[in-house]
Amino acid sequence: MWVDLFQNTIEGMANGSAYALMALGFTLMFGVVGKLNLAYGAVLMVGVYAGVYVHLEWQAGWAASAVAVVLGAVVAGIYVERTCFAPMRHGAAITSMVASFAIWMQLEEAATLALPRHSYPFPSLVEGTVIHLGPLLLRRDHLVMLAVALVVMAALEWLVRGSRFGLGLRAIAENPRAAGFVGRNVERTLFFAFVLASAVGGVAGWLVASADQHVSAMFGMWATFKGLIAAMLGGLGSLRGAVAGGLLLGVVEAHALWLAGPQIRDLCAYLLLFLLLILRPGGLSGQARIQRDAAAYGRL
Amino acid sequence: MSALLDVRDVVTSYGRIQALRGVSLRAGAGRVTCLLGPNGAGKTTLMMTVAGLLKPQAGQIEFLGKRIAGASPSAIVKSGMALVPENRLVFKDMTVMDNLEAGAITRKDRDKVAADRERLLDRFPRLRERSRQLAGTLSGGEQQMLAIARALMSSPSLLLMDEPSVGLAPLVVQEIFEVIAELKRDGVSIFLVEQNVHMALKVADHFYLMDHGRIAFDGAPQALAEDEVIRRAYLGDRR
Repeated sequence: MWVDLFQNTIEGMANGSAYALMALGFTLMFGVVGKLNLAYGAVLMVGVYAGVYVHLEWQAGWAASAVAVVLGAVVAGIYVERTCFAPMRHGAAITSMVASFAIWMQLEEAATLALPRHSYPFPSLVEGTVIHLGPLLLRRDHLVMLAVALVVMAALEWLVRGSRFGLGLRAIAENPRAAGFVGRNVERTLFFAFVLASAVGGVAGWLVASADQHVSAMFGMWATFKGLIAAMLGGLGSLRGAVAGGLLLGVVEAHALWLAGPQIRDLCAYLLLFLLLILRPGGLSGQARIQRDAAAYGRL
Repeated sequence: MSALLDVRDVVTSYGRIQALRGVSLRAGAGRVTCLLGPNGAGKTTLMMTVAGLLKPQAGQIEFLGKRIAGASPSAIVKSGMALVPENRLVFKDMTVMDNLEAGAITRKDRDKVAADRERLLDRFPRLRERSRQLAGTLSGGEQQMLAIARALMSSPSLLLMDEPSVGLAPLVVQEIFEVIAELKRDGVSIFLVEQNVHMALKVADHFYLMDHGRIAFDGAPQALAEDEVIRRAYLGDRR
């Protein structure tokens, strides 16, 4: 019983770390521009398909596929930024969101045209299956997934909290006008925020695809759901919240899967989001912000 | 007077509304130049145009002998101009330290930045006391000091200040003007937009008065104090 609980928690954290990366991408973009990018999952799918393509065409191994996934996601991310967000910088949050939905559909269709089969194989990261650790059976690829995700999170934390780029990012997130006054190039910084989010998402997409060892065009939808749920659990706009939300989602899913099977697992994910939004409407980290907004509306 | 900033016949519009209808003025090195004017006269529009946040339709702006009209805000900050914006606009969710760092974000000489920060924290001891606090927790006067310190962090040749006294208690206003007088003593060149003529008269070397997008008065403090229209409108003189 305890062994199962422990085993499921580790499995869940591995999956959850990939969710956390996707949630970080969503939250990074939402935090700086205050707009939801619905095409983000599709961007990751394009990246994963680029990885599949180089794998099929040139029998590329995991390293070349990984590079192709991240590059593909970055290129697709730039496309989304240029079409949906750059032309409507000020206000128009709904317009940008709806436009990004259109681009999501477009990218999905384009990927299906380029690689028409329902699913494709993806090179696995580590050969060999499990490590025995006492009574625990740990999947090697899941451990690698967890480790890589943790490294990316630490790097992102440093970038946002400790670097000059991050200082500019935080300044723009808080007050784009004032960030312009101190001489920060707002346009360029926002562009790089999208590039960064796409690259982080690309890493997540690669980790998930290489653990599953196959991909389909539904990956975009899947990534959008998981990433968005995790980001909302944590409180959209909060980086640490995104990590907490991703891990929480992963662990809850792992236990639900073990107790009740795959259909119930997804049900539990939505139930978790539903409960959290009722009990803490701003997510794990963002309650105060919601209340402040509510207070502002109350005054009107 | 050697002009640090030379604005010539600048026209700036919002859509079809002309906010600046051919404005010419100069700000000298080591001096405090003050721009007065009622609300809606175009003072802030002029500031935004000079700082590169609005593009002029016509006219020329020279700063340190270089043409800057139409240049990007970051290029203008790099060339040595810093803005203390209206309503302060400090980064409220960031610490006082991070606000100061943000002021130096365009600078490449990182070793000198730390020294400048220490110097400013010596000048504004209350900012040093609160250096780890979020800027939003500071009082209005402290936020204004922070906005000034943030602008000085870019090591500017010219400091633009847009109504630094607005919304502050009289004692705090006095404090702000003491800081302006100190900066002037240290040789900082300042271009000041103000509505508080009484305070401005104590520090400014030259005055412009703006009305309906045009310069309506241009002269020394003495001439300003003697101008009949200005006496009535701004100094509350009912003789």
